[in-house]
Amino acid sequence: MPPERFPIPQGTLDMLVLQILSLGPAHGYAIAQRIEQISRNAVQVNQGSLYPALHRLEQKKWLRSEWRASETGREAKFYALTRAGEKQLEIEKQSWDRLAAAVRLIFAQGE
Amino acid sequence: MRKILNLLRGRRARLENELDRELRYHFDRRVDDLRAEGRSDDEARKQAAIEMGGIEQVEEDVRETWTWRWLEDAARDARYAARSLARSPGFTATAVASLAIGIGASSALFSLLDQVLLRLLPVKQPERLVLIDWKGNSLSDNRGSYNLMSYPICRDLQKQDRFFEGVFCRSAQTVNLATAAGERPEPVAAEIVSGSYFPVLGVVPARGRLLQEEDDGEPGAHPVVVLSHAYWLEAFGGAPDVVGRKVLVNNFAMTVLGVAGARFRGIDVGEVPALWIPAAMKRQATPGWDQLLERRAQWMQVLGRLRPGVAAAEAQAGLQPWFKSMLDEDTRREGFPQVTAEQRAAFLASTLAVTPAPQGHSPLRRRMDEPLQVLMAGTLLLLLLASLNVASLFLARGAARGREIRTRLALGASRRRITSLMLADSLWIALLGGALGLVVAPLVSRALLSFLPTDAGAMALSSRVDARVFAFAFVVSVLTGVLCGLAPAWRAARVPLIDWLRERTGATGGVRLRKTLVVGQLAFTLVLLVGAGLFVQTLRRLVLQGPGFSTSGMVTFDLNPVRAGYEAADASRAIRSALAEIRSLPEVESASVAGLNLLSGGSWNNPMTIQADRRFVTGRMVLMGAVSPGFFRTLGTAVIAGRDFDEHDAGPFSEDGGARAAVVNESFARRYFGSASPLGQRIGFGDRPDVKTDIEIVGVVRDFAYRNLREQSEQAFFPFAGDSPGVMFYVRVRGTPAAALTSIRTAVGRVDPTLPLSSLRTMDEAVDRSLNTERMLATLSGGFAGVALLLSVVGLYGVMAFVVTSRTQEIGIRMALGATRRSAVWLVVADAVAMIAAGTAIALPCLWAVRRLVEAQLFGVQALDAPTIAAASFVLALVALAAAMLPAWRAASVSPTEALRFD
Repeated sequence: MPPERFPIPQGTLDMLVLQILSLGPAHGYAIAQRIEQISRNAVQVNQGSLYPALHRLEQKKWLRSEWRASETGREAKFYALTRAGEKQLEIEKQSWDRLAAAVRLIFAQGE
Repeated sequence: MRKILNLLRGRRARLENELDRELRYHFDRRVDDLRAEGRSDDEARKQAAIEMGGIEQVEEDVRETWTWRWLEDAARDARYAARSLARSPGFTATAVASLAIGIGASSALFSLLDQVLLRLLPVKQPERLVLIDWKGNSLSDNRGSYNLMSYPICRDLQKQDRFFEGVFCRSAQTVNLATAAGERPEPVAAEIVSGSYFPVLGVVPARGRLLQEEDDGEPGAHPVVVLSHAYWLEAFGGAPDVVGRKVLVNNFAMTVLGVAGARFRGIDVGEVPALWIPAAMKRQATPGWDQLLERRAQWMQVLGRLRPGVAAAEAQAGLQPWFKSMLDEDTRREGFPQVTAEQRAAFLASTLAVTPAPQGHSPLRRRMDEPLQVLMAGTLLLLLLASLNVASLFLARGAARGREIRTRLALGASRRRITSLMLADSLWIALLGGALGLVVAPLVSRALLSFLPTDAGAMALSSRVDARVFAFAFVVSVLTGVLCGLAPAWRAARVPLIDWLRERTGATGGVRLRKTLVVGQLAFTLVLLVGAGLFVQTLRRLVLQGPGFSTSGMVTFDLNPVRAGYEAADASRAIRSALAEIRSLPEVESASVAGLNLLSGGSWNNPMTIQADRRFVTGRMVLMGAVSPGFFRTLGTAVIAGRDFDEHDAGPFSEDGGARAAVVNESFARRYFGSASPLGQRIGFGDRPDVKTDIEIVGVVRDFAYRNLREQSEQAFFPFAGDSPGVMFYVRVRGTPAAALTSIRTAVGRVDPTLPLSSLRTMDEAVDRSLNTERMLATLSGGFAGVALLLSVVGLYGVMAFVVTSRTQEIGIRMALGATRRSAVWLVVADAVAMIAAGTAIALPCLWAVRRLVEAQLFGVQALDAPTIAAASFVLALVALAAAMLPAWRAASVSPTEALRFD
């Protein structure tokens, strides 16, 4: 019986963040919310790893950030995908697909 | 530095603040959402805090990702390293001193190299300056140093404005200058320049105005000069009303137009002028020699400023068609010399060479270029050696610090952090070494400058540490710091953790690496030792060979009445009277005059035509000199065939009849007459077909040195007719020359007290001066080799002592099992012998590779001279083995019981 909500596997958080931001700029809280909503609450975003991930991606110049008013009217730090970030997302998607296909293949063999 | 720190602090504060706001926003939104789900305020806050996993932790994790974190780490490492170095002052002092020697010496060399070879002229856009030079046979009389052109061709080139923004010409000369009428004239360096000189260079005046095109028109019509800033301060005390004053140039009144800007000191680092004189005044500036408008008289260098965007090669190619047509026109001009068809073809095949000259033009640079590069290579080798020494010291220290490193690794420090800690150590040492090196550098520089042929003041070379030397020392320090730290850091990062934990690190890998470093040191030392051996032998051979005449008790000086305003006839009368006065002095054995300045590097040379059984032209330039009767006797060289000149012999250019006579040296006789006697044979000046061969060879003298001690040259001498504008006196005195100097001055003063005597010195001094470069190379390379030997011996001793200490137990066991003391000694000596052999094996191909660099500086010895290499290897082996004997002796005296009680 799998648990109701499981933490995001190591290394995939970056990819998910890039994917969410490819839909449009967002602040940290909204990113966490959206990942949970879209996955129908199947995955749980650990806040403690979300912010280090955002800063790391920004250091790598895959994201850029700016402060502006959020939907509540308060200033929030919005992140957006850069050109380099878009490319990185493509790369990560492809390697994810290959990995997933490989895993499926191995499972199919076992049955 | 503080500025950068503040900037970092400011940035850090902003980032912290933003991170705080960002996380607070997240927290507040979560609390709001939870409340909207119906939780109470308290509950919502608690839940949100749990989900965040502790704000402190998140903040710390985010901080980890900020890139400039490494800077903070580096600062922490630096502080830590400084503390740990301060705790081991002996180690620190040794390492710093090693590097200070290396960095100090190379900075000093760089300082000189920079001033002589590299520095650009302090003028507007120096990178667009080019030297324009004649390549091929110009059929000209050349007077001066190198790259000579005539004044008319400079004028022609000024019209080539397709390529040049401007063209100027200049010539370095000496004039007698009196700062006011009645003042005693002094010989000073002057630059004779075209009117375009200052405008093209873009120099600004400090006072008044500089020379312009209008000041260089009708010959003789522009008695004006510009003073250099330094001379204005020195001779006029910086008087503000100097503009408009009259000075006497060779006793001819000229008006001071202005003073050049302080930074501009002419375009030749070797000859800093006191004043600039327009070319139109050449006759007054160089009395007795006026060939200003003569197309075949080359005495000036021509430089130009390229138009923006025009490359030197482009200008060179573009100028050739014009140059060809100019050559063609020249051959049809009136006064074009009669030449053979061959010579005419060679003349017409001449081309112009346009080469970048952003550093100006300098014969000094030409002469010092190679010696300075050799010495620079030597100092860099020394620096490398010092770095190896320090690296070796660090390895030893790293072994001692094993426990600390083990603890750090066990506590989870990354290898990168350990590496950077090690590098921080060596960077500190290197920067301290660099700082101390900058203190040493001026001392070395001053020693270097004292070896230069002319005195340093006249060349405005300084031993001061300027911004460029500082930058050089800094870069070199950082590089050596990284170099020294590389070996220990590499080792720290390479050794498996498990080995560190087993405490097995001391004696194995570290020692092998240290031995490798010692081998490198020994190899470099051998290279430097061989270099020193070669240069010392060069100097020794030159000194032993001598100039070919006796120098003791010989005094020379220069007297130039024409520059003091004498007419030619009066000048030769004055010279004759001065000679008579000197000859009458009781302490003078003999005295003569000659138109040649022996051992000064300069010469009068020309091809000659010889009429023996057939007529032919000498293949090489013949060095010539006009000498008075008795000159050879004064010099103490023998006339080995025929006779000396007498009063009846006529000079080569004299018009008043008399038989023209010449005396040639042995080399000349041997080269052009072989075993036949040259006496009675006829020769003539120059190589043109219309040369009259009406000079009879009346005598042959033994070879003696003319330009310098190295050169073996063919020489021909002619009777001194007194028509030469300046002459050198050669006086042989009894007793010490120093005592005679005053009476000689007085004797000349009796003829005319205002006649300045210049370059008054003994012949021994002249010999010394002519050997300056060789002495500099021998002394400095010897010094470098000595320091290198010391450093590498210390390195070898260090590693062997360490080996013995760490193997005490093993040696003890061996001895307990019956090994002899001799075998214990051999254990150490075998190691040392292997290292010395390896070092020698590495050095030999290195010597072969660098032989070209030194070849030109050597005399009487080959770059790969086997005895020198053998002797140097022997010295190195002897000293290195002596250093190894101390630890070997300690190994032999290990007592088995003591050793086994250890631990």
